[in-house]
Amino acid sequence: MLGVSSVPATISPSAPLLPDGTRDVLPDEWSQREYVRWSLSELFRAWGYQGVELPALEYASAAHPLDSRAFKLIDTGGQVLALRSEFTTALGRLVATRYPAGPFPLRLQYGGQLWLRAQTSELGRLREFTQVGAELIGVATVQSDIELLALARAALDRVGVKADLEVGFPGFVDAVLEDAGLSGAARDALHDAIDRKSGADIDLAATTYGLSSEVTGVLHRLTDLYGGNEVLDEAGRMAQGTRARAAVSHLRAVAQGGDLTLLFDLGVSRRYGYYTGMTFRAYVDGLNQPVLGGGRYQLANGLPGAGFAMGLERLVRALPPGLPPHPETVLALDLPALHAAQQAGLRAELAWTDNRLELKTYSALRGIRRWVQGRELTEVQA
Amino acid sequence: MSSQPERSANHLTLALPKGRILEDAISLLSRAGLPITMPEASRALRHEFPGVTVLELRNQDVPVYVDLGVADAGIVGKDVLIESGRAVYEPVDLRFAPCHLSLIREVGASGPIHRVGTKYPHVARQYLAEKGIPAEIVKLNGNIELATLTGLADAVIDLVQTGGTLRANNLQEVDVLFHSSARLIVNRAALKLRRERLRPLIARLRELVREES
Repeated sequence: MLGVSSVPATISPSAPLLPDGTRDVLPDEWSQREYVRWSLSELFRAWGYQGVELPALEYASAAHPLDSRAFKLIDTGGQVLALRSEFTTALGRLVATRYPAGPFPLRLQYGGQLWLRAQTSELGRLREFTQVGAELIGVATVQSDIELLALARAALDRVGVKADLEVGFPGFVDAVLEDAGLSGAARDALHDAIDRKSGADIDLAATTYGLSSEVTGVLHRLTDLYGGNEVLDEAGRMAQGTRARAAVSHLRAVAQGGDLTLLFDLGVSRRYGYYTGMTFRAYVDGLNQPVLGGGRYQLANGLPGAGFAMGLERLVRALPPGLPPHPETVLALDLPALHAAQQAGLRAELAWTDNRLELKTYSALRGIRRWVQGRELTEVQA
Repeated sequence: MSSQPERSANHLTLALPKGRILEDAISLLSRAGLPITMPEASRALRHEFPGVTVLELRNQDVPVYVDLGVADAGIVGKDVLIESGRAVYEPVDLRFAPCHLSLIREVGASGPIHRVGTKYPHVARQYLAEKGIPAEIVKLNGNIELATLTGLADAVIDLVQTGGTLRANNLQEVDVLFHSSARLIVNRAALKLRRERLRPLIARLRELVREES
């Protein structure tokens, strides 16, 4: 008879424990996530943003901006369902069906998981991730843009994350391209090149589409339109048509009315067909990844909307050390001690046995330094 | 992250490809005013200079380090950048390491293309889709030309520098997908967070490239 193999059972490499781009959250990170989520939802509520929950399952739709990247499932009736891939579209549906007559402005907050099947799946990008956000629906004024930027700043401050807020305006790039007489494929190609600040690709497009050196010069200047308030002056000099001028004066009003320190990048043109006004994001030093992003858009029913979402995973990485505060955990030898310890602001675990040795071993493993006993919270020798 | 030494807020981390481009890249960056020199031949992969750290990487990894923000900026060929599909800024065409990516076949080959060998599967897939060629793509890692010569593939998509290898192997370029050269790439957040260092660096590199071409 063959001997029993001494090799312990292992997990076959062909059956990984978790799908690519998903992960478990363990207690230390969990408490950071809950702290951030709770802090932000309290802050949003203090600004009048009411919370809603949205289903994670939606009907798949080719009109959805992330349809091609969403996870799909088949319902019992054969309908194709999609796992929620972003909040704004779902919130637009909720507003159109639940609040068709307002009252506006409508201030809503949300939070939860999102899934993207075709996330550029290399290391460093999750396919299941969490966002919290706030949307201000039904109004499109300078004041409402300022409110969102101020709320974004307050949210970052609330969780102690030092970040630079940067404002863009994809419609400005589009207006400058329009004023330069560009349309169709040339305009699309240049939006892409300008958004990547690729001087070489601008030159390539200039050759392909036979652009004048004057126009090419303007396009190159768009890629350098980033920095502080001085950017708006330069953009003002570049703005020819009414659309471009309106964009600059809108941003000026936002910059002057808000008393916020803002950066600007008027060469941002990502999703220029989707955003109808300003866009903004927050950059954290040391992370080199935005922790917040948002902008102004139009809902399917024509209502104006604007808002922002914050990535929970990235926020937690940017959280300063020592947050959230961790009260000490003690071992309570009886129930009265458990209650007394909790009332004193401590965390208490209840002893499950009278075996002191067992409790001692456990305490060492859990890093518990104090035992308590009785209603009066007497410390006993651990 | 814990292994990072304490650094000033304006510290720059650069991702540079090891090998041939490294020397050109370091020489150009030092002429642009960065206090860096060609590292002594050693096994070190991370080189520290005053205010600058240089990471020596495989060229395919340069866009990854820059996109994910571990490096603030880097230098890499446009071919590698397009293949990576990474959303980074690419403000300067540094004009060195010129080459082009081409569809290559044996001289005289005219049959249908069923299989294409390449180091650039993403680029190849997009190109074949645009051309309406329903070919299968085989990802290879070196001496791509052998694939056509041995019949592994009916055509290859690969870099051409001088064309010497092609002539020596009775191969010809059938189509040019795009021209490539070395690019300065910059992380999207870093350009804004460290603009006091990166903005002048970009301006100086543009001047140098203009003067030298």
